[in-house]
Amino acid sequence: MSYFFQLVVSGMVVGSIYALSALGFVLIYKSSRVLNIAHGQIIAAGAFIVYALTVWAGVHIIPSFLASMVITFFLSMSVERVFLRRLIGEPIISVIMVTIGLMSILDGLIYLTPFGSVNYSFPEFLPTTPISLGGVSISWTQLVGVIITAILIGAFSWFFKRSTIGVSMRAVSDDQLASMSVGISVPKVFGLAWAMAGLSAAAAGGIIGNITGLNFETLRAFGITVFPVVILGGLDSIIGAVVAGIIMGLIQQFAAGYLDGNWGLNGTADVLPYIILLVILLFKPHGLFGTHEIERV
Amino acid sequence: MAVGLALAFMAPVQAAESYQLGLSLAITGPTSDAGNPYSKGVEDYMRLVNETGILGDAKVDCPIRDDMYETAVTKRNFEDFLDQGMVLFLSYATGANLALANDFTEVEIPVIPASFHKGIADASNYIFLPIASYSHQYVGLGEFVAKNHKGGGVPKVAAFIHPSAFGRAPLEDFKTAVAAGLKLEIVEVVEHGKDLDNSALLKRLASKGVQYVLCQTIQSPVVTLINDSQRLGMTAKSFGEEGKLTFLGAHYTGGNDLIALAGSAAEGFYWTTSYRLTSEKGPWTDWQLELAKKYGRDDKTANSHNYTNGIMAAQVAVETIRRTREAGKEINSASLFETLNQMNGDKSYEPLTTVGPVNYSDTDRMGVDTLQLYVVKNGVFRAEGEPFKPEFLK
Repeated sequence: MSYFFQLVVSGMVVGSIYALSALGFVLIYKSSRVLNIAHGQIIAAGAFIVYALTVWAGVHIIPSFLASMVITFFLSMSVERVFLRRLIGEPIISVIMVTIGLMSILDGLIYLTPFGSVNYSFPEFLPTTPISLGGVSISWTQLVGVIITAILIGAFSWFFKRSTIGVSMRAVSDDQLASMSVGISVPKVFGLAWAMAGLSAAAAGGIIGNITGLNFETLRAFGITVFPVVILGGLDSIIGAVVAGIIMGLIQQFAAGYLDGNWGLNGTADVLPYIILLVILLFKPHGLFGTHEIERV
Repeated sequence: MAVGLALAFMAPVQAAESYQLGLSLAITGPTSDAGNPYSKGVEDYMRLVNETGILGDAKVDCPIRDDMYETAVTKRNFEDFLDQGMVLFLSYATGANLALANDFTEVEIPVIPASFHKGIADASNYIFLPIASYSHQYVGLGEFVAKNHKGGGVPKVAAFIHPSAFGRAPLEDFKTAVAAGLKLEIVEVVEHGKDLDNSALLKRLASKGVQYVLCQTIQSPVVTLINDSQRLGMTAKSFGEEGKLTFLGAHYTGGNDLIALAGSAAEGFYWTTSYRLTSEKGPWTDWQLELAKKYGRDDKTANSHNYTNGIMAAQVAVETIRRTREAGKEINSASLFETLNQMNGDKSYEPLTTVGPVNYSDTDRMGVDTLQLYVVKNGVFRAEGEPFKPEFLK
């Protein structure tokens, strides 16, 4: 039975990290209907900033982690201001193409730094002895990752539901023209959405980097790895990202634990999430929690 | 005097000969963590050759181009190098070598790759693997397990491999060796994904009685695997500890990067390659560190086994040119191909970067046959035993 519970715990851990990684996509899409293809690069940049501050500048890892979130907050805001602000009102495909270009630019910039081709790892700052209970084990790194994810997702959910700016952002998402007519600055909302996505990406990068080590290819791949999570949850739903992340994490762990290596099966942990995604989308094309918009013409 | 000057200007200028080589590899993109130090190894050794006159008054011109691990770019670089008069090509990835094998054969140019996939040498007779193939490394690890297994019965192993031609490269030979009498049971072949948590995999392997995990992949997936194993308390404290997992890996799984990424979880990781490591002090390693220092490389590069890897490929290329010149032959692809084929017996080459000599012949496309086993002890890879050759794979 402990085997089953270990898979549940592992699935929840992985799922919550997926959710945090997916959050950046959702935050931007929720406000601006833009899919940021360069999200994986921002995740990687966040992790590298933590390392640079901790190891090269000698700052303790906790303030470094917080500082990296602040830095990527402003970095992403700047990206939006420089590259995307002037595309407001342009066809969505143009905006997506710009984010693809942005991905190449960020790749190039990171390759100019040592992080592009050298592996690093964070100094160990958490106890290495795992927490074990009844044969189920979780590392401190994973536990801290889950806690940070829970805090950030809770904070963003509150922000969108209760704060004036959050409500403004949801209004912009629903109808930009109507929002402008009541005095909401749409460009500012877009900038803030990008900034918050940058902040969440840095948090995800810091957590993933602590688990996998700092390898650019591994980190940036998470931008794509979490894509099924974003689609399954519904592109504009924070709670959807959480639920879908945990579903994906659990599916992967159960597939790896019960299917792979049996009956000649292998790699089901990688394939099954996509199969389930396709099945769910057949019945719920907007994802589990995505907004189903009805357009009347 | 005027006549003298006129004659001097009219006389043909005897320019020092320059031999054109070319290196295409991933300096950015996937596997660039290996490609980057590799390129620096080639670059530094070529500079040394030109500055110290290892080829007399002749020079080597070896442009290095980034192919971003994309075969199409490798092909373009290769063709550009050919247009520049390249006589020997230094290539990189398994996939690109497999894709370009016919091109190499068609233009009859010798190639020294960074991939050690035996299949690429089968695909083109012009490809000369620098060291023991992945198959040899993998079978060598298997033999070590069979000989040193603790506990009764046949040791149960799992293959943890990269989901690509590179990862699958040694599997067939490994299975053939087991069928031929290598006393192992291959319980499962796992093609890994981008997993953040390997608990399910590790528990599953343990439930099937697996005691040894043989890795043929890159470092990152091994890092998460051994980190998770440490967290779950499943890592053997000594080789073959019963009820625990001992991890072993081929060339691209190990090195200092593995230790940097995995930290204490890398302790007791067994790794094999044909290269010497700077963690094992000796005249060769001093020389490598001096070379790196001379050209301003940082410690990480200087101590990277992939820096050694690049130096060695360059050494073989330059030595081939030197021997061809010494024989009074014109330097071209054909003469270098011939020289490489004669590099055996008393003409074998000792680059000292490796644990054995480089031998090639008409039927042998694998340079260094010997392997060295290393194990992580107190955060450093240390040699374990003497260099060896796998018995089940010739």
